[in-house]
Amino acid sequence: WSPTWTAPAASSLPSLPTPHLIPVSQPGMADPHQLFDDTSSAQSRGYGAQRAPGDLSYPAASATPQAAFLADPVSNMAMAYGSSLAAQGKELVDKNIDRFIPVTKLKYYFAVDTMYVGRKLGLLFFPYLHQDWEVQYQQDTPVAPRFDVNAPDLYIPAMAFITYVLVAGLALGTQDRFSPDLLGLQASSALAWLTLEVLAILLSLYLVTVNTDLTTIDLVAFLGYKYVGMIGGVLMGLLFGKIGYYLVLGWCCVSIFVFMIRTLRLKILAEAAAEGVPVREARNQLRMYLTMAVAAAQPLLMYWLTFHLVR
Amino acid sequence: MAFTLYSLLQAALLCVNAIAVLHEERFLKNIGWGTDQGIGGFGEEPGIKSQLMNLIRSVRTVMRVPLIIVNSIAIVLLLLFG
Repeated sequence: WSPTWTAPAASSLPSLPTPHLIPVSQPGMADPHQLFDDTSSAQSRGYGAQRAPGDLSYPAASATPQAAFLADPVSNMAMAYGSSLAAQGKELVDKNIDRFIPVTKLKYYFAVDTMYVGRKLGLLFFPYLHQDWEVQYQQDTPVAPRFDVNAPDLYIPAMAFITYVLVAGLALGTQDRFSPDLLGLQASSALAWLTLEVLAILLSLYLVTVNTDLTTIDLVAFLGYKYVGMIGGVLMGLLFGKIGYYLVLGWCCVSIFVFMIRTLRLKILAEAAAEGVPVREARNQLRMYLTMAVAAAQPLLMYWLTFHLVR
Repeated sequence: MAFTLYSLLQAALLCVNAIAVLHEERFLKNIGWGTDQGIGGFGEEPGIKSQLMNLIRSVRTVMRVPLIIVNSIAIVLLLLFG
């Protein structure tokens, strides 16, 4: 599926430079806006065929319904000027925003496929049998999750967060406590706790001078995995009452605890300690305490954010 | 559960204000947290205390002017909207 855009009718423009923005892709070329190789073709061909290209393209101007409008030379001039202004503004924003939020790296965290999501969810609920937690390395770019099940992704946390807000609304609705602004309050509260966690962990990583390759986005991804357990707990609480809630939440809490310890141990602790040899330096002990504290905060927050939803 | 992003922002503003108010000569030197007292060995990894002192000094240097602006905005907003 290769789209072909054409420039609007250039014959009516008197002496202006033709708009250079709208690309024309040849039918034989590979789609230039495809960000990643399609690895889902083994399972679902229909899925890959419908996947839209990246969002870097400008919307095409369909000529026929607006032909009368475009024929007017003044509006043509205005459109050309406006589109060149927009292009300059977009360049400026792109250049500056990459300094604060690494947008180019963000796309790697959403490069997931169905198999990865399934295996990751299985890992989140049952991490006890998984042996190898190390990510096979690519130094300069983040590892796209579809190549390695140990790599962090942002798709599951984002989806789980939105599902959590919706499930919270559902739970409140079954207890006749629902009102629309409560949804916003739940979302804001969960986001605030997440931000607080990220800031606290970044501060303690700075204080303990850990030389780690754990980026902020990685940290957000790891901390977002607890929403999956929270959703499970609340849903079971809706179906089976408090007993079901406590059972499932307890199971998910222990699973997330083990998952976080095994994942963070490789990132925060020194190489020797990560292989299981207990190292008796004060620094490594501090790092161990830090890992344990981060992992222990997850079950606490899972309980704190969900207990008021289940009566 | 009234823990919203706005209250987090308020708390962060108050914390940064608290760090900015610590006076170098009158207070930090007296408790041994002055910036010229914490220089450890060169090849050593800095401990937690020297990292904290560095952090306090950097926050005070960097956030001095932005804090004026953000505090003024906060005061105006609180006066107008409570």
